[in-house]
Amino acid sequence: MTTSSSPVRAAPSASDLKRRRARRTRLGNAAAYLVLGVIAVITLYPFYWTFITSLENTGNIYDAKLLPGSLSLRNYAAVFTGTTVPFWRMVVNSLVICAAGVGGSVALAALAAYPLAKMRFPGRDAVFIGILTLMVLPNEAGLIVNYVTTIKLGLLQVHGGPFGDALNTVSGYAAIVLPSLSSIVGLFLIRQAYLGIPQELIEAARIDGARELTIWRRVMLPLALPTIVAFAILEFVAFWNSFLWARILPLDGQMLPLSAGLLNLSGQFSTNSRAVMAGAVLTVLPILVVFLFGQRYFMRGLEGAVKG
Amino acid sequence: MLPFLVLLAVYHTWPVLFGTYLAFTEYNVISPPRFVGLANFQRLLHDDQFWSGVVNSLKYLMVVPVLQLASIGLAMLVNRPLPGIGFFRTAYYVPVVTSFAVVGLIWTWMYQQDGPVTFVLQHLGLMKEPHSLLNDPGKALYAVMFVTLWKGIGYYMVLYLAGLQGVPKDQEEAAEMDGATRLQVFWHVTLPALRPTVLVCSLLSTISAIKVFEEVYVMTSGGPVGSTYTALFFTYAKAFQDFQYGYAAAAGLVIAVISLIFGAINFRLTRGGRSDA
Repeated sequence: MTTSSSPVRAAPSASDLKRRRARRTRLGNAAAYLVLGVIAVITLYPFYWTFITSLENTGNIYDAKLLPGSLSLRNYAAVFTGTTVPFWRMVVNSLVICAAGVGGSVALAALAAYPLAKMRFPGRDAVFIGILTLMVLPNEAGLIVNYVTTIKLGLLQVHGGPFGDALNTVSGYAAIVLPSLSSIVGLFLIRQAYLGIPQELIEAARIDGARELTIWRRVMLPLALPTIVAFAILEFVAFWNSFLWARILPLDGQMLPLSAGLLNLSGQFSTNSRAVMAGAVLTVLPILVVFLFGQRYFMRGLEGAVKG
Repeated sequence: MLPFLVLLAVYHTWPVLFGTYLAFTEYNVISPPRFVGLANFQRLLHDDQFWSGVVNSLKYLMVVPVLQLASIGLAMLVNRPLPGIGFFRTAYYVPVVTSFAVVGLIWTWMYQQDGPVTFVLQHLGLMKEPHSLLNDPGKALYAVMFVTLWKGIGYYMVLYLAGLQGVPKDQEEAAEMDGATRLQVFWHVTLPALRPTVLVCSLLSTISAIKVFEEVYVMTSGGPVGSTYTALFFTYAKAFQDFQYGYAAAAGLVIAVISLIFGAINFRLTRGGRSDA
């Protein structure tokens, strides 16, 4: 203060500069927090609003508000006891589809990436490049052709007989899950992780007479685990959230997963949007739990997908 | 490895090949495809519904620059080592992990005539007569675009955050020592180093803007009066509502070509994503 306001305007001392800099950072930080806060409100408020509105049972439903006008779980009860949309069944469907989808795609990608990363055979690189090209190729007609394929594979046939129901259920699930089971991104990510594992480890195991599958299980899998977990979380989110494919398939309402069934719910409760909001909250909850617990891995998986 | 390849062939390779073939046929699943040459494409040329879909898809590209600039800015902001920054990063990511089914429904409610968006716009003096933006043919497309932006920003932020970690710190500091302003440092040092990430991100968001479908499907189903009818919506309607698979496949092929063209433009604008930092 004293130096800078003196008439001679001596050069500011080092401590002065430091203080000025500190003040600028404090101001900068305050501004940063303000912007961060505003954006956080914009991203989170719609969720919060849906949640508190789903807890009300009276009042103007779409009002902008900060707190619920009344508290009751009636809307949640309505969702679970709804007669035309089998909510529990959709929860089970979603869980089965996720389990099969995540388990299947992780196992397939982890297995397929091994020879591509660590085994020598003619045409290996050609196969890999071929697979990567698929990722870039335009695939607009994909839904249409996959739909035709699913029909041709007989996965949507209605079976009769004593095991008819069970068979229909299994093939319905297969129809939903199969098209997304071979993940090119997953293959790519896991291959990258395998490439980082020293070749000597594998050679040593081979000399000890281990079979390839044993090497894969004992050496590769544990060392690539972080990537595999990251990929599994990505896949869980994808399978839990996917709704378009399941809605396109002519499945009966009993077979729909939660995300797809939610839109049916919105048709059924067209007069009670609060019940649909309750349904939406219940649909988001599992994904938020998985996301919060797996956040670290999740972000790493995402970053890995870009850096590769 | 074999099961992976089989599934890949059935559900990834086959659609590309067979889909391309279908574009030159008339096909309704029940009877085998009948080859019709370029007839589908000639029909597309005169199909106003298709072109208005394409125009809407191209309008949707407006999302791309806004989304990229906003997420770069946000990434720089959350890259600071501020206390509690983890909370914000997580908060911005919540829309990303939520499905379009839920996101679409939530925003349909938010946009209601007596809903929060109208409330805010009225209080800011931006809207006089309360009405739902989704029912307004002049604004519905922009309302849907905002949702895309809202859902996408966290995703690209994380990708840019990863990119920022690769920017050489010493170069930024050296430039600052030489008296460069923050903006100059950003423009001459940070951005060029970030170019590979910019390419990936702008490519991804360009292609998904042209192929926008799910948010439209849940929120407006192409309405009101076709104002949000996008190119891929046309393909969907032709295939799964009118069962004209060949015609739909032809439309899909045209959309694919359009997105390839815009992908190439992206390559040019980012100079192939080479960082010359």
